[in-house]
Amino acid sequence: MKKVVNINLAGKQFTIDEDAYQALDKYLNTINKHFSSSSGFEDIMYDIEERIAELFEEEMQGSTIITVDKVTAMQKTMGTPQDFGAAADMNTSENRRIEKRFFRNTDNKVIAGVASGLGAYLGIENILLVRAVFLMIALSGIGILPYLILWIFIPEAKTASDKLSMRGEDININSIANAVEDGVSEIKETFSELHKNFKQNML
Amino acid sequence: MTNNMNLDNTKAQMRKGILEFCVLSILSNKELYPSDVIKKLKASKMIIVEGTLYPLLNRLLKAELLSYNWKESTSGPPRKYYQITDMGKTALRELKSTWKELEGAVNKATK
Repeated sequence: MKKVVNINLAGKQFTIDEDAYQALDKYLNTINKHFSSSSGFEDIMYDIEERIAELFEEEMQGSTIITVDKVTAMQKTMGTPQDFGAAADMNTSENRRIEKRFFRNTDNKVIAGVASGLGAYLGIENILLVRAVFLMIALSGIGILPYLILWIFIPEAKTASDKLSMRGEDININSIANAVEDGVSEIKETFSELHKNFKQNML
Repeated sequence: MTNNMNLDNTKAQMRKGILEFCVLSILSNKELYPSDVIKKLKASKMIIVEGTLYPLLNRLLKAELLSYNWKESTSGPPRKYYQITDMGKTALRELKSTWKELEGAVNKATK
């Protein structure tokens, strides 16, 4: 014996048993979550529910109650949010921000990159300001201990993804490619400078 | 294994690029509601899972290449019918010529 539930899917009424209801609810919720950030969210949800209702109608021939296997069959036809996500958010990936982490930024350092890492973490663009604060702390009598402690305990941003989470940028192929490109152009600059110096010395 | 996965990804990417073109093309003849579009796409094996279509329709809607209106249906609640806009028609023409170019280029390159 099973309990049944009556549901309304895009204006159509269905009788569904409890297990199937749970499965369907879970499925719709994952889709819901997947699209909740895009602006045409209601439109998409309505269209999807309408289609699900239609698939159920096609499947219902003879029977009157939706069971779990009908929900499973429907999911197979519709696909998972991951499947259609691939085609979904190509353009709508608004710059999601990931959780920032405190790293030492050794790309821009005077001593160990603590100040510039902290600046990146706090979103302070003027690193000189952060450095001045450390300098003031050092001169005020507290000394250099705070700096040393941070130096010891805060890891250095080594990989591209470290550097991105230091700045709070989303880690995806594009941003990593950008970070790598930045690195490459830096190397190029260094090389061309070396080249210039070399030339000047030779002359 | 990784090889296969990459290949799948490539296939998906290829499909994704031309799916919008196909949808616009299907809707350029007459207004349809999503299930009709799905039937056509499925018949031509353009989509594997149906869910792919909905975010895509929405994207085209937002880009104002498509619009929709509600129509009474003989069975059940009113349905949303999608149709191509003037902007959509222009976009479709562009996509068509790009497709022709690509087709020729690919045929040449893979000979």
